[in-house]
Amino acid sequence: MHYPWWYVPFVTSPMLIAAVATIHIFVAMYAVGGGMFLAVETQFAHRTQNRPYLGYLRDHAWFFILLTVVFGAITGVGIWWTIGLASPLATEALIHIFVFGWAMEYVFFVLEIASAFLFFYFWDRLPAKTHTIFGYIYAVSAWISLVLITSITAFMLNPGGWVEAPSFWVAFFNPEFIPQTIARTGGALLLASLYVYLHAALRQEQDPELRALIAKRSTRPGLLGAFLVTIGGVWWFLALPESARAALAAASALNILMLLIFAVTLVVFGMLYLGPYRNPGWITPGFAILLFTFGLAAIGTGEFLREAVRKPYIIYGVVMSNQIYPDEIPGLRQTGYLEGGTWTRRYIAERFPQAVNAQGEIDEGALLALSPDERTEVGELLFLYHCNDCHSVEGYAAVSESMRGWTPEMILALVKEPHRARFFMPPFAGTADEAQLLADYLVTIARPFPAGLVNGSSN
Amino acid sequence: MLPPFLGPLNPLGYPAPYWFILFFKVLGFTLHISLMNLWFAGLITMLLLRWRGGAHAQRLSDRFINALPFVIAFGINLGIVPLLFTQVAYYQVFYPATILAAWPWFAVVPLLMVAYYGIYLYVIGLRKGTMNALKRAAGWVSAAIFMLLGFVFSNSFSLMTNVAGWGPLWNATSQTGAPYGIGLNLGDPTLAPRLLMMFGLALTTTAAYVVVDTAFFAGGESGEYKRWAIRCALIVSTLGNAWVAVMGSWYFFAALPGEIRGAQLQVPMLVLTLLTAAGTGLPWLLMLMSQRGLTRRLGLLTGLAQLGALGLHAISRQTVQNLELAPYLQIGAEPVHIQWSPLLLFLVLFVGGIGLLVWMVVQVVKAVRLPVVP
Repeated sequence: MHYPWWYVPFVTSPMLIAAVATIHIFVAMYAVGGGMFLAVETQFAHRTQNRPYLGYLRDHAWFFILLTVVFGAITGVGIWWTIGLASPLATEALIHIFVFGWAMEYVFFVLEIASAFLFFYFWDRLPAKTHTIFGYIYAVSAWISLVLITSITAFMLNPGGWVEAPSFWVAFFNPEFIPQTIARTGGALLLASLYVYLHAALRQEQDPELRALIAKRSTRPGLLGAFLVTIGGVWWFLALPESARAALAAASALNILMLLIFAVTLVVFGMLYLGPYRNPGWITPGFAILLFTFGLAAIGTGEFLREAVRKPYIIYGVVMSNQIYPDEIPGLRQTGYLEGGTWTRRYIAERFPQAVNAQGEIDEGALLALSPDERTEVGELLFLYHCNDCHSVEGYAAVSESMRGWTPEMILALVKEPHRARFFMPPFAGTADEAQLLADYLVTIARPFPAGLVNGSSN
Repeated sequence: MLPPFLGPLNPLGYPAPYWFILFFKVLGFTLHISLMNLWFAGLITMLLLRWRGGAHAQRLSDRFINALPFVIAFGINLGIVPLLFTQVAYYQVFYPATILAAWPWFAVVPLLMVAYYGIYLYVIGLRKGTMNALKRAAGWVSAAIFMLLGFVFSNSFSLMTNVAGWGPLWNATSQTGAPYGIGLNLGDPTLAPRLLMMFGLALTTTAAYVVVDTAFFAGGESGEYKRWAIRCALIVSTLGNAWVAVMGSWYFFAALPGEIRGAQLQVPMLVLTLLTAAGTGLPWLLMLMSQRGLTRRLGLLTGLAQLGALGLHAISRQTVQNLELAPYLQIGAEPVHIQWSPLLLFLVLFVGGIGLLVWMVVQVVKAVRLPVVP
């Protein structure tokens, strides 16, 4: 509303955030857990002077750098890039609240990259002790990065007392912070195991002793990780705001996903324990790929769920999912959404100057007097700015499909009070006339009642 | 009169004084471009040298590109700081501009990834002696992408200050008021000369980097190579300076609006303008002196002088940016609610982080000096 709305047909622009974030998280968590694994295992290999194992770890560190420093780092920046485009008001708010959180994370990010490069490129030149310290500098920096970023994502789900007492630390130590940190740390350890196991399996190490060692030791972080994911997940659920829990309970798909996370985590735990931990000889590419896929499924589903339960907010209690501050809604219902929106007001002033009065305000009566095509255009403007955050016309969460067969009266009733029909939708932030204009537009795109179904009429 | 494009101020206000935000924005930008310049203009220069040059040119090219994976990692990282503080202070113009050009801006992510992996592919070819047509092509593709990314950045940041240009662009590239995100700021007369001027500046940075590399890190190279590298650096710097002079003149005298040019020519801004224009002259002079014999002190001075020149450009850019935005934004007038403890913690971590970084480098230098134990 205060910013132009980026129109991405079929998928909606916020779905691009989901796409970038999901692929990022698969690597970012490994960047943390894998760093911890490398630090601990390098220390172990130095202490036991196990040269073959050190050789393997060096090989793995190269794979780790290629994946995390390039793909992980760039997709991380990519999330930031995308949220500014697809969710500008929420990004503006988060940047103002957490600028020093991000700035601190930047310091640790620099340390991560420097220590990762030095750890790998000076592998044979550094004394064992210094080499190990470098590994730990990386691991600790990466974990603190995770903690700092988790505080921001956790804040988005439950800002706790920040709304009443806005301060950085209240925002930072929000009710979801510790559970999400535990769950994500667990996820990082779990993924580390799966990546190491996959890498080792595909490398097809011939030395049976080394293969067994890699299989056994790579399993440990994963077993701990699965435990932490479970603890953090349960705590995460308990710390959810009431409406988020209600959203979870109301949507059967989300229920299934939540069960799926725990089930898959359990399966991964079992496979890790019975497979590489108890029977290290099982290390095969097929088994590793299966485990890896399960792990990604659990992590990806968790992230999707975390996003989905936040509706109707993008930052809980702070910014609505359609880029409006909650306290703006009563005013907008009086003065009008088109009038209150920077870009919508400009659009009406340029396209329909006859609908702007001498004081420069939008005259809604004049909008209703526009031709049917022009009214549809204003309705589309309202749809794009008010609804397109979550709904496409044709494609993802398409309104043309979800309103299939609806009568104009049903559509108008929903538009006026969307939060009554679905409590996880934001209230309509416009006047009754604007609701009519939006409903008129939706009527033009709603598909007809499917043929061949009984609709209760005699025909 | 049409309503303005700029939304309301953020109710939270600035989390730090405006000067603090500006300081880190300009410092971060200076550090970022000091490395970004190496992949923007340096990579293509080095590929051309390897393609057309002799043995020394090939050696220089290989040394340069070998270091790029580190340079890119840190350069991207250093770019986070100015972007973060830009979003704190200039959010009202930053978000609309990037949304109007959303697809090019979004494309930075995949393009950068392809270019970065392309560099790795090329470097693997160099290090393992397995260079082939595919790896060579990867290097050229990366160079082309990096130059394209330079255009994308210039496009977004020039659009950020070209608020008057938003209306036509929005009308031409939107669906019922919602931008498709394909806007290019091609109607802005400052876009091309500024981008080209930056390319010339990047050439001078590339030259300074070669001097620093030769002075500090080329211990294993022959004296003949070092002399050749310094001469090459001088030529590249001369070309870069000439390029900056031509494009900078175009930018300043023909593209910049008269009132902004006038303000930049008023004392005390005139001093900054002159220093900025002459900034890359000092490293050039130091390179000229190096032709008689490069010392580490001269190498260090050349690097610092180039960093200073880039800093002057960043400060000038900031003053011009503020002048361009002055009709639309009350810059620095936003209420300030300082987040004291996180601010101080950040500063402590920043200093501590630099300390730890230095400690790590010292450990590496010590280790490298030790004889290798088989």
